[in-house]
Amino acid sequence: MNGAKDHRFPAWRASALLRNRAFLTVLIVALVWIVAGFAKPGFGAYGHLRYLLELAAVIGLVAIGQTYVVIAGGIDLSVGAIVTVSAVGVPLVALSGDTTGVFAVIAILAAATSIGLLNGLGVAYLRIHPMIMTLAMATFLQGVLILIAGGTAISAQNPLLAWLGNARIIGIPASVILWTLMSGVALAVLHATPFGARLFALGANPLASALSGVNVQRTTMAVYAVSGLTAGLAGVLVLGMNGQGYVGIGDPYLLASIAAVVLGGTSILGGSGSYAGTIPGAILLVTITALITVVNASAGWRSILFGSLILLLLLLSGRESQRR
Amino acid sequence: MTHLSSARDDRLYWPVQRERNRSLYGLFAVVAAFVALYAYLFPGLLSVAGVSKFAQSWLPLALVSMAQAILMLTGGISLAIGATVSLGAVIAATTMMGPLGVPGGIAAVAVSGLAIGALCGVIAIRLRLPAIIVTLAASFIIAGVALLILPRPGGAIPDWFSDLLAGNTPAALILLILAALLWKLYLATPLGLSLYAAGENPVGAYRAGVPVDAARIAAYALSGLLSTLAGLFIAAQTGSGDPVIGNAFTLNSIAAAVLGGVGFLGGRGTMRGAIAGSLLLSVMINVMFFLGFPPVAQYVAQGLIIIGAVALPEITRRFKRTR
Repeated sequence: MNGAKDHRFPAWRASALLRNRAFLTVLIVALVWIVAGFAKPGFGAYGHLRYLLELAAVIGLVAIGQTYVVIAGGIDLSVGAIVTVSAVGVPLVALSGDTTGVFAVIAILAAATSIGLLNGLGVAYLRIHPMIMTLAMATFLQGVLILIAGGTAISAQNPLLAWLGNARIIGIPASVILWTLMSGVALAVLHATPFGARLFALGANPLASALSGVNVQRTTMAVYAVSGLTAGLAGVLVLGMNGQGYVGIGDPYLLASIAAVVLGGTSILGGSGSYAGTIPGAILLVTITALITVVNASAGWRSILFGSLILLLLLLSGRESQRR
Repeated sequence: MTHLSSARDDRLYWPVQRERNRSLYGLFAVVAAFVALYAYLFPGLLSVAGVSKFAQSWLPLALVSMAQAILMLTGGISLAIGATVSLGAVIAATTMMGPLGVPGGIAAVAVSGLAIGALCGVIAIRLRLPAIIVTLAASFIIAGVALLILPRPGGAIPDWFSDLLAGNTPAALILLILAALLWKLYLATPLGLSLYAAGENPVGAYRAGVPVDAARIAAYALSGLLSTLAGLFIAAQTGSGDPVIGNAFTLNSIAAAVLGGVGFLGGRGTMRGAIAGSLLLSVMINVMFFLGFPPVAQYVAQGLIIIGAVALPEITRRFKRTR
């Protein structure tokens, strides 16, 4: 018995660390930052890096839910629409008695969670493929949003939002602190709770996990609800940083969240990965975008560069294992 | 492997077809109902001119649904369909008035579609990268190229060519029937035969000597070709090119294929299902337009109908079980 305990985990080796995709992504980010810092004066300035982290916080928050859903073997294509719902919804539900804005934010987060829950309901009970369910949900929400908000931008006068968007605690933006806290919770839930273990089981083999007593339907509902919640939270943050919400504000975050998840080494097929990789994945994505903006190129070239860089990074970190 | 024997043995042909249609009766019924509603609202549909006008609005969606269905049958998927459609439209609008002329323009569109598709296929299959992410990245690159060729809507298509394809001719209907016939023909070739096998059980098919990788890469190439041809048709319809005109087709192609019963895991589904799915979407959009739905309500209804149509088999199954 005493021997078994030693061999439960393999001995620590430097080569094992290099094969860890999360660590690899951190390494790539560090490399890109150092090279860009030398090549482009001003890139390495504290203010600029802080700004990048602020932008990454939004993608990172959306990607919490996306990571969970992807690990559980699904995909959520409605996160962009949910971000918009939340960014447009908070100003709409603002009440006169609610001076701090806390009530509005909580109400919208609840709404975002229920949208996610509806996604889960469709996937778990109606057996609609996640891609179709969330896609149809996104289409539906887009229609509802235009119906409610129209084409105009809605600004929010909300102390909580202003604080989230602009406050700095000892020089660190509130959004980054929120992201850090949420990341800690997300990692703990994913790797240290039965719920997290069920997600991995569900993504690796849904039938086997159902036979071993995992309540597949309830877990599926929960994971999409989490995705709705984090997307809603990201929407609140976007609203705080932007000052106003409009239809379409959340659209860029759909592809960004999927890209961050995959660049972080989580298998798009489900069953393996970690949010620890998604964090540097989100930062990497924002950095690439910033670098491309710095290079003075036309919209076409920027788009080509962005796509090529994602393909290139995918070669480094996103390869599926040989299946034959 | 029923489709293998269908090519060999004529006696099995119709039973096989019946078996394939069986899971599609529900969809066919819904499509028939919507077509009937459309014909009731718009009696002009029931004429050669009416049908050919409708076929013109249906053809691009039908082509991209076929493009998506081919990939999904092999276990792949493409998020670059919309960008590829735009690229096809842009290439058509910039080459056809130039020295290449219309035939040269068609050739340029077809070759670029085949090349882009094949390249995506090689990257996804040979480098073993997940198709959904490869095509996502590819969609940025393709959209970028389209923007480089034509930064803003413009270009032109010769008038006679526009009239031929999208004027008062049944050209769209004929092209659609031609595409369906060519698909039947493709299924009879070695690569076409391998298509279902490669999607259903890649490992087993590989061990049985099926050229799995070749079949998959060919599917990507064909998918690219169909997408750019859809773009060409749209350019002929509008008379010009637009670098973002195809964006909506990515999601609509997936929706149509899934409505048609094509599965995401490969090897499940039929092309006739995907085409019927695209017909349903297209008739739905036309009916809502006729009923005077605002575009916004169309989004809402489209989302609900897609969920409803896909969930219908599961709901009826549950209903039967509880009885």
